Amino acid sequence: MLEKKAKQPFCFFTSSVLVEIIGKRAHHLKEFVQLLKKIDANSIFYHVHHAFREYHFAPGEYSNDFARWIEEDLEESRLAERIAAINIRDFIDLGTLRAGLVKIIEEHLANAVEIRKVSPGREFYFLRNSTIVMPTKYKVNTLSEFMKTLNKVGMRSLYYHFFDARLRLGHHCNDFSNWIERDLGFKELAAKIEALDPYFITMDELKTHIINLCKEDAKKRRLGLGKTLQIIRKVLSKN
Amino acid sequence: MAGFKLADYAKIIRPQDMEEIILLAEKLAGTTVKMVNSTSVGGGVAEMLHRVIPLFNELGLKVKWEVIKGTGDFFNVTKAFHNALHGKEEKVTNELLNTYIEVNRQNAKEMSFEEDIVEIHDPQPAALIEEKKKSPGKWVWRCHIDTSRPYLPVWKFLEQYINQYDASIFSAPSFAKELPIPQYMIYPAIDPLAEKNRELSKTEINSVLEKFKIKTDKPIITQVSRFDYLKDPIGVFETYKLVKKHIDCQFIYAGGTADDDPEGVEVLSQLQDRASGEKDFHILLLPPFSDLEVNALQRASTIVMQKSLREGFGLTVTEALWKGRPVIAGAVGGIPLQVIHNFTGVLVHSIEGAAYQIRYLLNNPDEAKKIGQYGKAHVREKFLLTRYLRNYLLLFIILKNQNKSLITF
Repeated sequence: MLEKKAKQPFCFFTSSVLVEIIGKRAHHLKEFVQLLKKIDANSIFYHVHHAFREYHFAPGEYSNDFARWIEEDLEESRLAERIAAINIRDFIDLGTLRAGLVKIIEEHLANAVEIRKVSPGREFYFLRNSTIVMPTKYKVNTLSEFMKTLNKVGMRSLYYHFFDARLRLGHHCNDFSNWIERDLGFKELAAKIEALDPYFITMDELKTHIINLCKEDAKKRRLGLGKTLQIIRKVLSKN
Repeated sequence: MAGFKLADYAKIIRPQDMEEIILLAEKLAGTTVKMVNSTSVGGGVAEMLHRVIPLFNELGLKVKWEVIKGTGDFFNVTKAFHNALHGKEEKVTNELLNTYIEVNRQNAKEMSFEEDIVEIHDPQPAALIEEKKKSPGKWVWRCHIDTSRPYLPVWKFLEQYINQYDASIFSAPSFAKELPIPQYMIYPAIDPLAEKNRELSKTEINSVLEKFKIKTDKPIITQVSRFDYLKDPIGVFETYKLVKKHIDCQFIYAGGTADDDPEGVEVLSQLQDRASGEKDFHILLLPPFSDLEVNALQRASTIVMQKSLREGFGLTVTEALWKGRPVIAGAVGGIPLQVIHNFTGVLVHSIEGAAYQIRYLLNNPDEAKKIGQYGKAHVREKFLLTRYLRNYLLLFIILKNQNKSLITF
């Protein structure tokens, strides 16, 4: 199973980003939510996701920029907790993620007694990414090659195929699962990889989990094939 | 300055990260770039250009660096610009503004701008943008100054030039403005191979400690700063007094000599008075070029402090974080970009807060170790020269692709 040739090879890409400063900033929560409603969707993606790219060495330590600002600078712990707990995987696109964030903040504002203004220099600055996507030298045709190569590719490549692909590029599923199902026909393995929760593990751990799932799947298939052959042999011997 | 090669940095970052830098550079093979600033020696900008330009050229780009020539009056006005961008009210007469424009025009006559990309650093040569109409390339203005609260008349004068560029670069989000041109963020960076940051052997560290007669029999808390009120040296001493009530420790305040700075001499003398008789509060006067000493003191410390009351980006914090020491720092200027509270370091707002956090970390060494490790990882990810190099390669690609936000090869 590990050596089954895919209909199309999988090409590993990598993405690099340069941060762009939009020039918009919020001094308090009301201003923040007004800006959040109209800000470029790329900016929302940046603020909820860049921590996974930049703080991959400490998963779960830093949730997202919005929650951090609300906690550290506005000192609104309850709201910060709710924003930090937002499960990005529940949202199929950035529009619905934006609506989800706005809803939580507006609920909070509806009951807020006081609108707190941050001290000068601690405003929320909206940023966004400029992204450059490039193919790497790695191209694989089988699951065995995929597993070996996954160990070699950089963290940005893994980020691109696992995080960028789903929400920002609208693929609705990570690229690895897409390829494994579409070009190798291993639907169950694809679903298991898609079900991984990458938000509380390091990128290296994510790689290991994916590789282990591939190994387990191959073993299961080998066992399954072995049983089928046994049955065929039995039937043939009876005849 | 030692000439380091890419291969030297490959030992510090992940191999895949170096592969990606090379991959990006391949897209820019042969691209010509001109950097222009106002000095070839002294200051962080010149130092960074000295370090980064050979690496660009090793990667296959053709990067040149030119320095504009100025008169005394010109540098007086650009010094006033510098102060005004930092928020100081400066009276700049029309005559001085004309000097600024004239000196830029005079320099332009002696320069050519045939390159694919022209990068102008800081306000001094910003008016060279008048040459853009004769140039085939993209022009970018790199601002190294904290312009978060500029003196507006000076900012307005400079803005008319800045708006003519194809893009601008700032060091932090709060330094930027609402401009009609794209503004990119590139953090400053430290060179991990520089004398101030390179790995040191135990022997090297011990020899520095011996030189300053510092024993390692009790925890060391260090602040490396100029003798400047804005670095709060008296606050550091007060913090020492509060901590010392509970824990037997020693503090080091290490700063540069202050012969040419009357205020520095006054601050030093005040600190010496306050700390007189305190054998565990060491005040170290470091001569210029004490990079090895700073490196060793930071590495020998249990905790590094930066209790600034005002700060630019705060590269001294970056240097301390890189040593893997837990850093406790004032939440000012660019420090919160580097020290994420209770994650990559600890942010404080008062003397009492600083003392409390020091006591906490001294009593919780595992927590202190974890914070130190995360601080170092944070620097590796965001504040090293190699990241600076990658950001510039990205910028050049973006400029060559009409500032598109998604570029696919």
